[in-house]
Amino acid sequence: MTAAFAVSGLCKRYPHFALQDVSLTLAEGEVMGLVGVNGAGKTTLLRLLTGLAAPDAGSIDVLGHRLPQAQVAAKRGIGFASEDMRLYRSQSLDWHIALVRQIYPEWDDNYAASLMRRFDLRAQQPIGGYSHGQRVKALLLLCLARRPRLLLLDEPTTGLDPVARAEVLEALADVLRDERRSVLFSSHNTHDVEQLADHIAFLHGGRLLAHRDKESFLDDWRRVLCLGSLPPTLANWPEVAQVRSAGSQIEVKLRAWRDDLPERLAAQGLTVQRVDPMALEDIFVTAVRAGGAA
Amino acid sequence: MNQVLNLPLIRLLVIKDWQLFQKQLAAYVLAGIVALALLGLARPWAFYLGSLLLIIVLVAGSCFSISNSLLVERKEQTLAFVMSLPLSPLDFTLAKLAGNLLTFGVPFGLLLLGTLVVVLTTPLPDGLVVYSLLIYGHILLAYSVSLMVAMQVESEGWNTFAMIASNLLVNPLIMLLGQIDAISIPARADAIVWSLPAVLILSAQVLLSLAALGFTAWWHGRKPAFY
Amino acid sequence: MYQQIIDQITTRVMAGDWLPGQALPSIRELAASSGVSVITVKRAYEDLERAGLIATRHGKGSVVAERLDQARGLFEDALTRSLVDAIAHATRLGLDRGQLHQRLDVELDAAESTPTPTQGNLP
Repeated sequence: MTAAFAVSGLCKRYPHFALQDVSLTLAEGEVMGLVGVNGAGKTTLLRLLTGLAAPDAGSIDVLGHRLPQAQVAAKRGIGFASEDMRLYRSQSLDWHIALVRQIYPEWDDNYAASLMRRFDLRAQQPIGGYSHGQRVKALLLLCLARRPRLLLLDEPTTGLDPVARAEVLEALADVLRDERRSVLFSSHNTHDVEQLADHIAFLHGGRLLAHRDKESFLDDWRRVLCLGSLPPTLANWPEVAQVRSAGSQIEVKLRAWRDDLPERLAAQGLTVQRVDPMALEDIFVTAVRAGGAA
Repeated sequence: MNQVLNLPLIRLLVIKDWQLFQKQLAAYVLAGIVALALLGLARPWAFYLGSLLLIIVLVAGSCFSISNSLLVERKEQTLAFVMSLPLSPLDFTLAKLAGNLLTFGVPFGLLLLGTLVVVLTTPLPDGLVVYSLLIYGHILLAYSVSLMVAMQVESEGWNTFAMIASNLLVNPLIMLLGQIDAISIPARADAIVWSLPAVLILSAQVLLSLAALGFTAWWHGRKPAFY
Repeated sequence: MYQQIIDQITTRVMAGDWLPGQALPSIRELAASSGVSVITVKRAYEDLERAGLIATRHGKGSVVAERLDQARGLFEDALTRSLVDAIAHATRLGLDRGQLHQRLDVELDAAESTPTPTQGNLP
């Protein structure tokens, strides 16, 4: 089975930013969520994956094509939409569809029509009169209706109202039915990633902090509430990402949960009150603040 | 790079550029026709007004074509959309060059033709044909240089500078043509005379234009990626 | 998300929407229709299979288990977790054993007087 994409040892330097030594693979049929704060390198990575930018070092293979050399062949199978991509304001969605369907033979008119209804878009209206949400949906329609093998979406839900966001996520979820199609989407909305992604890739400061399947990634993290006095060495445990104490209550966030950890905490004189799994949002913030490896 | 050009897509993008600007281009041609009508009256005041209006229309048209297909595309971020289509940087450059040459070239060609017709069919001295061609030659050169700069430099300031400076140089050119007797004297006569200075200037204009466009295509074609 | 899927399937099986032996939606189908990642649904299916609620036939997808007695364990576990939580809260409130029993009776009475949409009976 060919991977949807595989990058290895990827480096790209810009004057004020560098993507460093990123190696990452997405298997066919899987959904990867790319998480990171603004400036973490998500957009740079997506640009490299679409062949728009050439790496300074490392290799990029997308749908079996080496980039950027074979970018034309790769881009036939890629549906790319990014936050900074706009359609022609003076023209209608119909005009854009007429352009795009001539380029991609896989274009599906029925699917386009059903997306048009679901997204509640007016085909004749110039794009300039669309709201932000409508523009994002129009762009996604143009990507989705040609059923690309790999969808690369840069912040597809950013700035959308809850209704538009739900519509977009539902349309993305439809893609899951086809086991040959893969999705990489970046988001700083961790909730979307937690909901749809099979894999999580976590970028910070141009480096890949973690890339794992989502369930085992979430499994590694726990928030433990204890009572007692704070042991001075606790913050130095490699498993501990964050310790906070308020009075005699101590909150410990663990990045490498193991079943024996409550016992070890008890051995430090702490009474473990409860152990809870953490939401990706919480993990994300904790990991970024801890600065180290997630 | 031994890649195959994506000609169908290049053609689509050229048509796209044409569709985007056709209304405005028609307006430019219309204004140009008004200018030509004034020229055709063959009265000193009308000739002065007509030639001024014609140069304004030509300069405005060439700036419009460059700024809409390149600068606005960059600013309004439709560029990202085009680059995501299955094309290489060379395909993209050729599509941009061809689209631009079309949106500039069609009004330019129509007005050039109109000018020649007006000069030859009205009481205006036929010697003006050479003179007009030299003015058109300059507009072409100014356009090619501006286009080269626009495709090379992202800065809006430099682009504006390039467009204004190159086109304003038409003024010194007119002065220069007035100084060269071999060009200015036959321009008032009713015969078309190709003097050596006229041929040299026109050839230089055309060759430099081609060089600027060729350099742009070569420069962008050798890039492996857009960024 | 994971818990949602678990709850959704157990509820529908217990309510008799899905009968023993009946085929469940494929993992991708359920993921797409409920907007949840494939890996989460896959894991939920695996855990439900371990709990005995569903059975997976190789290459044929998953079906509701013919005998649901094993699935009891799943609910036993959930009940135990809630009780442990309740005890922790009671301790914090300083309630003794008798007071906690009393509170449980109050809640039971309230639940009986307002019929909740029950989830079917366990075998």
